[in-house]
Amino acid sequence: MMLTLSQREMEVVRRVLNREPNEAEWKLVDALWSEHCSYKSSKVFLRSLPSTGPNVVMSVEDWQDAGAVDVGDGWALVLKVESHNHPSAIDPFNGAATGVGGILRDIISKGARPIALLDMIRVGRLDQKGKWLVKNIISGIGFYGNSVGVPVVGGELSFDETYNDNPLVDVACVGVVKKDSIVPSVVKESGLKLVLVGFTGLDGLGGASFASRKLSGLDEIGAVQIADPFAGKVIIDLTLEVAKDVSAIKDLGGGGLAVAVTEMANGLGAVVNLEKVPLRYRDLLPEEIIISETQERMLFAVKPEKVEAVCSKFQELNYPCAEIGEISTEPTIRFLYKGETVAQLPSDLLLNPPLVVWPAERKERSNSDSRPVELKEAIVRVMTHPDLVSKEWAYSQFDYEVGTSTVVKPGDGDSAVVELPNGRLLALKGDANQDLCSEDSYECGKAIVAETYRNLATVGARGIALVDHLQFGDPRKPEVYHDFIEAVRGISEASKFFSIPVVGGKVSFHNEDKEGNPIKPTPLVVMAGLVEGKLGKGKPQEGSLVLLGLTRNELRGTLYSRLFGGRGSIPKVRLMEDELASKLVIKGINEDKVKWSKDLSKGGLAGAVLPLIVNGLTVAITSGAIQGTSDILAKMFSEGSGRFLVVTDDPQWFLYQAGRLGIQASVIGKAYQGSDLIIDEKSFNTEKITSNYFRFLEEVL
Amino acid sequence: MRTAVLKFPGTTCEIDVAKALKKVGAEVEVVQFNKFDPDRYGGVVIPGGFSFGDYIRAGTIAANSEAMKRVKDMADEGKLVLGICNGFQILVESNILKGALLPNLNLRFITRWVRVKVRRRDTQFTKDSKETLFMPIAHMEGRYFLDDEELASRLSLFQYVDESGLPTPEANPNGSILNIAGISNDAGNVVGLMPHPERASFSTISPDGSTDGLEILKVFGK
Repeated sequence: MMLTLSQREMEVVRRVLNREPNEAEWKLVDALWSEHCSYKSSKVFLRSLPSTGPNVVMSVEDWQDAGAVDVGDGWALVLKVESHNHPSAIDPFNGAATGVGGILRDIISKGARPIALLDMIRVGRLDQKGKWLVKNIISGIGFYGNSVGVPVVGGELSFDETYNDNPLVDVACVGVVKKDSIVPSVVKESGLKLVLVGFTGLDGLGGASFASRKLSGLDEIGAVQIADPFAGKVIIDLTLEVAKDVSAIKDLGGGGLAVAVTEMANGLGAVVNLEKVPLRYRDLLPEEIIISETQERMLFAVKPEKVEAVCSKFQELNYPCAEIGEISTEPTIRFLYKGETVAQLPSDLLLNPPLVVWPAERKERSNSDSRPVELKEAIVRVMTHPDLVSKEWAYSQFDYEVGTSTVVKPGDGDSAVVELPNGRLLALKGDANQDLCSEDSYECGKAIVAETYRNLATVGARGIALVDHLQFGDPRKPEVYHDFIEAVRGISEASKFFSIPVVGGKVSFHNEDKEGNPIKPTPLVVMAGLVEGKLGKGKPQEGSLVLLGLTRNELRGTLYSRLFGGRGSIPKVRLMEDELASKLVIKGINEDKVKWSKDLSKGGLAGAVLPLIVNGLTVAITSGAIQGTSDILAKMFSEGSGRFLVVTDDPQWFLYQAGRLGIQASVIGKAYQGSDLIIDEKSFNTEKITSNYFRFLEEVL
Repeated sequence: MRTAVLKFPGTTCEIDVAKALKKVGAEVEVVQFNKFDPDRYGGVVIPGGFSFGDYIRAGTIAANSEAMKRVKDMADEGKLVLGICNGFQILVESNILKGALLPNLNLRFITRWVRVKVRRRDTQFTKDSKETLFMPIAHMEGRYFLDDEELASRLSLFQYVDESGLPTPEANPNGSILNIAGISNDAGNVVGLMPHPERASFSTISPDGSTDGLEILKVFGK
């Protein structure tokens, strides 16, 4: 098995121990010190993210577990996002499925009942391999989510050649728990028994370390875990049943037992008797048992007198449950096998890898202007881009109705909305923008937070918490590291501006293609918000079109610029404009002035009018009414923030209110029965665009 | 009516079904498959999900459980038995209802809202229900099949139809014979269907505010 430790790190280990570690100990250190588990290259910067706020019930401790926020009536919302990029590149079905399983177990380890999933998928070219990836990723997510009865209520399916070799599979999950029943993931006292449920197998050996290096192209299938959603469902049901009887819960994710035990002990020590671990294969070696990442296992810390009560619940359904050790006072993690010491290392050493700050340097971006493009060609290319087509092919494979709480369903809005147990409505949305990030990841970090904020506003919701996921190439490359630092800075600044705490997050480095080129930087945020008054749930329909916000000549870092080359400048995100425009949309929803609304993001204005056109409406636009630039391409395709398209019967109300708030608004046209796009009396045939919208994925896949 | 909602390991819809049954005034208890006492109940609902992971074939393992022998006794006694989605698959696999449920023609899991037409009024579930019902499906193996087309037609209780009420091929989401979405036994006390009435029981979550699922479930409220 490959280790990812550097020479310098190995020297630190030897120096602290004053001896040469054995093989099992090296593997233990390798798993805990992997980028995946330790955040050694990122932790320093993540501290700048705002993680507190009046509604924060529990923020992440060392960025390892899910955070929680208050949603009223004694309820807390637990949320978390994670990726399974590397496993999905090799075995997309199991990689994506176990990604769902893993995130669900993070939620239940807080004692919370999972109520919704989001999936954000990014793949490359739709050649034979690309199609194989998409089909299997989607069916893997459905396989797991459907089987355990947690609805996939929203997400993204996006295409960019930067992901040809390295797809991004992000899954987010939210759960609910009574505030006073949240279970910690770490212990505070010694003497508690360690109880492990689930069989340990041979799959996922060294998965955490595998996720912390670039794909080698060698035989890596053994590092992928195999999904068993039936076992996952049993684990969810029973863990929630026993939650009140346990002192701490931790799921077994990256680094398996090694990481779960060490992190749960949290500075205290632990003794684990490996021969007591229930095995799927009898012949597993002790060191394999330590690092196996077999799914559907949970670790509980239990008071001695409660062990039997906890295990009997599992044994009733023939699910293995065993006491495998205990928490000790001496701060040492010890793994024994039939009395022999297999590994024995100080807790402190395992939990505290030497942090690193790599050299960072800004990559110079080329500033060449693109060739002039005919408006007609641009409209067709942008509006038929796979990122903008109907994703029904994908979401119809998910059981998004289970739970009888999905109020705004996939494909029906810019955000998903689910009903909480206290009757309040929760909006959810995840956003990333690799085009803008590859130009300027600081502006991009701000832009994705602002975009999710706007997405929530279209259903009448205001953000209450967010989680982020930072996906980059090799951090040792100065240009990659620079983008990472800048993205964190942008996310941090925007979340502070909106007063939305970042309650959890993940970092995924080493996302590269086979030639060692990093993917375009792809930070991603998922925001949760509450509908404050009325729910914005309109279908595309006739009315006046009001554009809120200023359209600037900022075409760089857009879908347009990916297709035709850079033009104009890079958008500077003006957060105040996002805040005010969002406020106006929410007010409009509550005063019944909004028939339908959409935030302007991918594809710009052209992307925003697409849902109207494919729903049987003609959109007529007077380009002169679009304020802020005279460039027709910028008017149509700029993705600059702070803007919404609103369909209303009372445009004057919006103009007046916008004036009071100090933002721009103008009536730019009308939507009425038909199927054309008319810009300044020039009509564009949209037949091809509409049929492409509905048929693209079905036909290609 | 005191109604059991039978939960197997892997069942996912028991809470939803219980929630909807409470709405029609039924006295609901979610019961673990290994603790099921049929004498306590006037009716039983087998909800959707993936019983025992649907390993081997959807519904097969559950169909061979002791609990299903008890459901069969209830069916024979004339008590109300309703199988929804996986519950329908279990009823078919245990031969309480006739036929088979095969993989969808496109071999994919499908979630979609559909319209079904009530074809028979001789069951307690449908005797005074609306003509067409709007409900969602969500399944991988929902293609109803029976060798004997005449018999299938006789058993057919719900049929997938389009907006104008016709059983067109386009309205058939999974390739079922005769567009069949649900059937009953001859006596009419046992019904199995692929669409989920419990998910069409709350106006907040249905696309048009309707609550057609209650039309089927209300019988348990009596």
